[in-house]
Amino acid sequence: MTVQGMNHFTSGALHPLMTPAHVLVLLSLGLCVGQHPPLRLKIPLSVFAVVSGMALGWTMTGDIAGVHQAILAGVALVAGASVAVGSPLPMWAKATLCGAGALAIGLDSGADSGTGLAVVSTLLGTWFALILCVLNGAHYVSLAAEKDKQWIHIGIRVAGSWIVAISLLVVAFALRKQGR
Amino acid sequence: MNPKVAFPRSHLSCLLALGLLLLMSHTASAHSEAGNVGGFVSGFRHPLTGLDHIVAMVAVGLWGAYLGAPAMWLLPVVFPVVMAFGGALGVLGVPLPGVEKCIALSGILLGLAVGVAARPKIWIAAVLVGFFAIFHGHAHGTELPSSANPITYAIGFVVATGLLHLSGIAFGLLVRWPWGRVAVRAAGFAIALIGFGFLFDLIKA
Repeated sequence: MTVQGMNHFTSGALHPLMTPAHVLVLLSLGLCVGQHPPLRLKIPLSVFAVVSGMALGWTMTGDIAGVHQAILAGVALVAGASVAVGSPLPMWAKATLCGAGALAIGLDSGADSGTGLAVVSTLLGTWFALILCVLNGAHYVSLAAEKDKQWIHIGIRVAGSWIVAISLLVVAFALRKQGR
Repeated sequence: MNPKVAFPRSHLSCLLALGLLLLMSHTASAHSEAGNVGGFVSGFRHPLTGLDHIVAMVAVGLWGAYLGAPAMWLLPVVFPVVMAFGGALGVLGVPLPGVEKCIALSGILLGLAVGVAARPKIWIAAVLVGFFAIFHGHAHGTELPSSANPITYAIGFVVATGLLHLSGIAFGLLVRWPWGRVAVRAAGFAIALIGFGFLFDLIKA
């Protein structure tokens, strides 16, 4: 996952943004956590930070080669569906979704090669970027949702339905590939 | 006072920059279905390549706008999800009978619904739209190239479909004015005619 010409931390930070499957999951989590203001980030973001940190650390053992795209799409599908339906999720469900997303993305973001310091620096960059993405997503969605404009709420739900549609197709693609 | 208005310098700069950008384009990336960008472009173009699909998507948006809230936003939320379900069936090779005929029929019925300004109950409109969405999705699903990047292809595909709905809704919002109502209903009848054309071709073949 190293990008030529960049230091390891920046390269790691850019990794989630350059992987469409990760962007999809992060976007769906941001929408899911921030859809219904007031924004309550403490539990979901703590779970996300701890689980993603542990998962990224686990990749250093070399036991994990990556995560199947269908799993990432599955997490996005559930989070996107909750956004499209529009009814608020209980806190434990948000935290579970954040944990599942963090685990899937974290295990899929292992550093390919390099010295120990380079790998740690890369993974640290990824970890910061992941947390920032969910934090930013939830914050801005919540800010938008606070406004008393119906089209914003509709837009958020349409975005959720698009995420569900994309995830469904990705799962189907993955199943077709496996069947061959 | 000079009645002539000089062409603003900033506009000239923009035009020159645009021309330069056009010169910088190259052909190689236009044919690639591989990679993230290639997958997105390929997926984005797919719903835009068949007139039978385009008119039906636009008709959904038009009808939604005609029916007003909550149908206006319910249909664009329901349609992509149900269409993706049909697409998934197509990708997995699950057979569905009469796909092409149902697609042509969707143009006829949805176009007529807009043309005659039909106002059924919301659940009837949602079921009708959802039913046809499965066939549209299935047709797209069976045609998806296996070389494309799955996730960016799916993103491009869904975004293009959604934008077709939005363009239909935007056009449909003209119903607020009397002349707009005539234009929207005329568009509905035109869509129905196109649907008839496709159905006629299918029956003749």
